[in-house]
Amino acid sequence: MNDRRRVNGPAEGTRRPVFACHVDTASAPTRPQRQREPKAFRKIALETGLTRSASGSSYIEVQPSPPPASYNSLIPHSSSLKLACSVHGPKPLPRSAAFSPNLVLTTHVKYATFATRKRRAHVRDASERDLGVHLETALRGAIIADRWPKSGIDVTVTILEAEDDRWWADAPDSHDASWGMMNVLAGCITAASAALADAHIDCLDLVTGGMAALVSDDENPDAPPKLVLDVDPSEHRSIVAACVVGYMPGRDEITQLWLKGDSSNAVLEDGDKRTVHEALIDGAVTAAKSVHAVLAEVVRESILAAGQ
Amino acid sequence: MSSQRQASSAAQVPHLSPAELSYLYTSLALPQNPIRPDGRSPTQFRPLSAESNILPGTNGSARIGFADGTQAIVGVKAEVERTVLISDTLDVDQDAETVEGAEESASAATGGHGSWVQMSIEIPGFRDDDALPVFLAEMLRESLVGSVGGNEDNGERHMAGGLKGRLVINKRWHWRLYIDVLLLSQPLSYPLPLLSLTTHLALLSTKLPKLKSTGEEDPFFDDDWAAAEYLYPRSSTINSNPSQQVRPPVTLLVISVGENVIFDPSREEIAVADAVLAISFTRNSDSDTGTDEPLKLLLTQRGIANSETENGNGPDSAAAAEEETPGVWRPRRGGIKRSVLAEMMKTALKKGGVGEEVLAGLEGVEVA
Amino acid sequence: MAITILPPVVEDLGPYQADSDSDDSMSDISDSDVDMDSASRPQKRARTVSKKLGDGVVIPGQVVTDDPQWMRGHGTYINPLSTSIIATVAGNVEKTNKLLSVRPLRARYNPEIGDLVVGRIVEVQSKRWKVDIAAPLLAQLPLSAINLPGGILRRRTSTDELQIRTFFSEGDLVIAEVQSVHQDGSASLHTRSLEYGKLRNGVFLAVTGTGGSKAGSSSKGGSKSSSAVPGAIPGIGGVVRSRRQRWSLIAENGGGEIDVVLGVNGYIFISKHVDNAAAMTNTDSVSHNRMEELVSSTIYSSQNDEIPMQTRREIARLSQSIQVLVQHGVRVDEDTVTKAYRASLQVDIEMGDDDEEEDEGREYLEGSKARQIIEIVLHGK
Repeated sequence: MNDRRRVNGPAEGTRRPVFACHVDTASAPTRPQRQREPKAFRKIALETGLTRSASGSSYIEVQPSPPPASYNSLIPHSSSLKLACSVHGPKPLPRSAAFSPNLVLTTHVKYATFATRKRRAHVRDASERDLGVHLETALRGAIIADRWPKSGIDVTVTILEAEDDRWWADAPDSHDASWGMMNVLAGCITAASAALADAHIDCLDLVTGGMAALVSDDENPDAPPKLVLDVDPSEHRSIVAACVVGYMPGRDEITQLWLKGDSSNAVLEDGDKRTVHEALIDGAVTAAKSVHAVLAEVVRESILAAGQ
Repeated sequence: MSSQRQASSAAQVPHLSPAELSYLYTSLALPQNPIRPDGRSPTQFRPLSAESNILPGTNGSARIGFADGTQAIVGVKAEVERTVLISDTLDVDQDAETVEGAEESASAATGGHGSWVQMSIEIPGFRDDDALPVFLAEMLRESLVGSVGGNEDNGERHMAGGLKGRLVINKRWHWRLYIDVLLLSQPLSYPLPLLSLTTHLALLSTKLPKLKSTGEEDPFFDDDWAAAEYLYPRSSTINSNPSQQVRPPVTLLVISVGENVIFDPSREEIAVADAVLAISFTRNSDSDTGTDEPLKLLLTQRGIANSETENGNGPDSAAAAEEETPGVWRPRRGGIKRSVLAEMMKTALKKGGVGEEVLAGLEGVEVA
Repeated sequence: MAITILPPVVEDLGPYQADSDSDDSMSDISDSDVDMDSASRPQKRARTVSKKLGDGVVIPGQVVTDDPQWMRGHGTYINPLSTSIIATVAGNVEKTNKLLSVRPLRARYNPEIGDLVVGRIVEVQSKRWKVDIAAPLLAQLPLSAINLPGGILRRRTSTDELQIRTFFSEGDLVIAEVQSVHQDGSASLHTRSLEYGKLRNGVFLAVTGTGGSKAGSSSKGGSKSSSAVPGAIPGIGGVVRSRRQRWSLIAENGGGEIDVVLGVNGYIFISKHVDNAAAMTNTDSVSHNRMEELVSSTIYSSQNDEIPMQTRREIARLSQSIQVLVQHGVRVDEDTVTKAYRASLQVDIEMGDDDEEEDEGREYLEGSKARQIIEIVLHGK
């Protein structure tokens, strides 16, 4: 009983094509390898004010990992996160709504139907609602809501291209947790924060999303998993645990935390007194801090551009 | 969307007054010794009554009632289903036995899949596509399937691959688990702990029929229910260490107010919390690692109870001066420090901490 | 131990009637059940009831009496062309002169003029507030029925209408009196007294207020329930109309003075005692008018005073004591609340002798502690 008014066709109607080169073992594609350092990030393109009709908007794109040396398949080897965010408001609440002394924040996160390798449905599904709730939590802590009484604001994120949950050629069961979603959430938080700044909503600080994960090594699966920042799930055979934070660097505060996975077997480097999940959170915070540098620069540039 | 909001706001209880919130916050934030409105200690839970195996038509079931009258019933049903492997990846893997694909498809077939566990939550007053039930179901399911682990030491049978692995019958067949959670009345506080504890009990009591077939043939089962095996294996010997057994995860709600970490918060307490954290954990079955932590963390989410924390009415004049006047409630802004976060997790997960006691308490519920 | 998990309680309702004083009426009814002679049955039952009229429990649809001398009151109806009065709710039959009414065992609050109630503002309109007082309908509190700041007899102006939220806004708790009851049963409140107004410095507690059940009914012994406390009937507790709905008591353990407000509607507020008037009159120079002004300017503030830890502790204990009373179906009034509070202190001291190390959550009253408290309250043991 998803939507009472319409009968929706099956969401999963399509199947990806199989190309001849897959079957040919010699040229079968190999899993992309992470070429960056564990603490290095992919490049981010972030821009604000692209949607003129909205009171604030932003677009974020993460550079895809470079393809393996001899890659000749038609299928894109890895996906890159692309999402657009628009902010509408503050606008008066509808007459039917109850009085609120604060700004009422609503968030919508929607995957475009073509955003993933497998086509997605038009109707918002559980994971999209889930992302919406997480995003709302992250932003609520940063917005100074009592500056805008009796008004509402809508934050809408459209995911144009989502991060893969696994390498495309893997059996669909090999990573079954949706790790890509965590990257998407981190992107959503950063983009929404940029759009809020563009819409001139009072915020305590620019909240940014950061992601870190514990991955087990491809070469020797028995070695303890290690901490890697800004993980592209398609580059790793298995992700043990991952963590996303919404973080405000100016106040050193976390507004949103999502940590999942089983981190009990992980061992940190010698001399590290932290527990594994603390290390994960710290890793995600480090990632968020470096994203913040980009975000702050973009917001500053947009002001300068507007001043000219 | 607006109809949705109405539906969920209908289930909400009216706001608290600023004076109440302020009183509550300052009481809970008293250093060392917070005063909770009902006189509990910070780590004390409200007493609850529990029973399991109450529904004969299910594979496992449980009921938990809180003293305030809210009750949850969970029924677990298992069905046999054919394992569908997506053809395109499968074909590749079967042809290319030398590459790593083969090994991977095997691991997929033995490792199980998270979507084999289905969870639905029914809360009166909420549509089933409202954010709250969806979010809760997703969170509980995530922690259930997220638990991998269990190892084969001591000759005892453990669950390799966690719950997902347990559902595999053979390469072509698997169990599908339906976990249906029913809340009997509108929740008086955030229902997550209640739902999680009840699900835990129901899964503990869940039995699957004994498999008679072997290997890759089509499965057939012993029709003797007495011979059925527990989904989460119980130890055959009486005095084996319970801490080595694989157990379903439990999700607890923890809030922080000031310096204090408070468990099992009531609705009013959530309304003034600085941070709300949902922590899922289970027994750490790796006895050989010898860690200090008997429990492992599976999932943590901060600020889940946002519909409740929205509560704060501003002070009388919202546009008044910025300085904080003591005694006047001001809605909480910003996030929480990492040290507070770490403290919250530590209190829940440390040896002899609250988490262990909760698991031990649930262990004590008689499985009839 | 952080968590207490109890086995489910089987409510054993069997012996409820067995040893009660209504034994003979029970046997009468069972006689008539066995007796399948349809002609004689209605008469017999009617006679039975009219014989026992006044102290029986009736259920909806049951004939209370067919004697035409009685007049129909609340909770009953009369079929046209007949004189028999039939109950519409389950409860006790009550007689007032020749008026026959059935008072439900557990009723929702029905406002009556003069009731002292505690309410929560749920809606702000342009000239009035809508207040939740646990009645079927929201009560209204007109702007003209409150004390406006700056003199008690000032006329209401449009400025007041514009800043209506500075007096009360959504969520605020008020103590008020029912001024009038409208045709549809909704109440109109007023706070035109320095006793009334905004509530702060304390905790709010909602119990199943009946406002209905007569004080005597719950303390009568004779029932056996799962709580195994003689004299307590589950579901009949609550706040009743009584002599004093609002008083202060001196708390133990250095708690100072604590105000308790028992709203007739079952909403309770427990707060630190703040003596506004005394503080004002200390300074003799302020005139009476000036005092009014000072009081009314603080009356709408949401700011709490400094409340010491001991007071908070005792407030929590007091609210727990009331919860215990309600859970065990004991009526809540000044007498029982005070007794329960003293009893909880006494029980605590006894418990403290038993086990010293159990220091955690000492204030949490449940299980055996609650039972002891009820014993003390009801029987003075």
